[in-house]
Amino acid sequence: MTVRHDRKVSILDVMGPVMVGPSSSHTAGTARLGRVAREILDEDPVTVRFYLHPPLAATYRGHGSDFALVGGAIGLNVDDPRIPEAIRIAEQMGVNIEFHEEDLGEVHPNTVRIEIEGEKRKAEVVGSSIGGGVIEVFKINGFQTRFKGDSPTLLLFYRDRPGMISEVTRIIAEERINIASLYCSRKQRGKDAFMQIDVDSPISDAALGRICALADVSEARYLDRIP
Amino acid sequence: MIESFKQLEQIAKDRDLADVFLETDEQEHAVPRDQILEALRKRRAVMRDCVERGKNGGLSMGKLVGNEAKLLNEAFQNGKTFLDPLTVKAELYALSVMGENSRMGVIVAAPTAGAGGVVPGMLLALEEERKIDQEKTVRALVVAGGIGSIIALTANISGAAGGCQNEVGVASSMGAAGVAYMMGGSTRQSIHAAALALKNTLGLVCDPVGGLVEVPCVKRNALFAVHGLTAAQLALAGIESVIPMDEIVEAMVRIGRALPRGLKETAEGGLATTVTGCEIGQRIKDEANQRRAARAAERERAAQERKSAIK
Repeated sequence: MTVRHDRKVSILDVMGPVMVGPSSSHTAGTARLGRVAREILDEDPVTVRFYLHPPLAATYRGHGSDFALVGGAIGLNVDDPRIPEAIRIAEQMGVNIEFHEEDLGEVHPNTVRIEIEGEKRKAEVVGSSIGGGVIEVFKINGFQTRFKGDSPTLLLFYRDRPGMISEVTRIIAEERINIASLYCSRKQRGKDAFMQIDVDSPISDAALGRICALADVSEARYLDRIP
Repeated sequence: MIESFKQLEQIAKDRDLADVFLETDEQEHAVPRDQILEALRKRRAVMRDCVERGKNGGLSMGKLVGNEAKLLNEAFQNGKTFLDPLTVKAELYALSVMGENSRMGVIVAAPTAGAGGVVPGMLLALEEERKIDQEKTVRALVVAGGIGSIIALTANISGAAGGCQNEVGVASSMGAAGVAYMMGGSTRQSIHAAALALKNTLGLVCDPVGGLVEVPCVKRNALFAVHGLTAAQLALAGIESVIPMDEIVEAMVRIGRALPRGLKETAEGGLATTVTGCEIGQRIKDEANQRRAARAAERERAAQERKSAIK
């Protein structure tokens, strides 16, 4: 029996992206994974550690995945011609970069765990580059999730309590924004929780401010579509 | 949402296939059709640009390939090719794009970078040889992308997931449907063109020498651009695949699972572990290690300099 994906990839996903070669899964997808980590951190990185699943660890150098991961982590787009120079650029920016091999379990071969640290914050992302530049992030800061970076997304870290989802979604509804999908997970009842809301159109700063001001919200991060 | 090729054939039976794909994509992803077409116009231009840049050749990152497009172009320009111009151009353009890709140039993943020469090879050669309007090529890219998006509902489009059938196989399938569309074929003929192309790439493994997207990838794109043209030709003559497209995609997924890990982009089998493949693989590893050591030494030297400057 074949597993069907829950969401269709778009024509532009298949017939694209426009990217720096040589491999969409090893160069474009990995650059986007690096970029997700950078966007969640939301500041210039000081240290980035990449933990590559063994099959990726075996092949990443030949495909320029090291340039791509680092390029994404310092904010370059997949079609940025500076990607081949990304490691040098990162070093000039004073970013510490480490590559390690780590068995990440029963996951897609091209999976990486990224630890990224800035002056103020740190973040962790685990995701796979599943081909054609398409990515699936399934862990953010230790929370289970399903993030593809193909739509604007709100990531919310908060203390688990009744009513939180309705309060957040009410603010989004008042903005007349349609929610494409919503995903919640928590580490323990009444403790740290996480909400991911994919939306069809951008969320305004005002609405984001209102969401951040809700009781028990510790952090809200708004991500545009990952280019 | 169109969930299968069977459903696609019913919905798009007497309609323009590109219109159907644009409509469903607009609904599914909230991207207006004009925006999709505009993006694809730009992508066609990037493909065209790759073809021009790539014709001149140049050594790849891993130094295994680079002159293929240049050699074929010279033979073609000097009247030394024996195939018809459409076929030669399909090969030439596929080689040009893949050459650019191997030099870390900017390309369009269609559907992947490693298989990115097949679709532009087929469509741009046809556009030029048959003097087809550019806008029709853009719509053929919609068709090719739409076909790929249905395949991607069931299959991961990567060599790591299922071997080269999932990359070059899918690309030739998408391109075959696009060619059938450009030549005025029906929806049914486009789907059968895709089916014939994909069916006859099943089992194709991904065994890149040294783990690079160079050998056999670059030349394979040229060969499978022609494979896709052949599939479209058969389908346009009314020849149909006995096995329906949906079942072919399922077979591809099953075959991909059954393939050993060594034949799925890991460079641990097939061509990568031939005597020559191993030698090249070792050389690439050694060179990478030397480069890393040189970078570390450079960092060390810079740190020492900073230290002595402080003193």
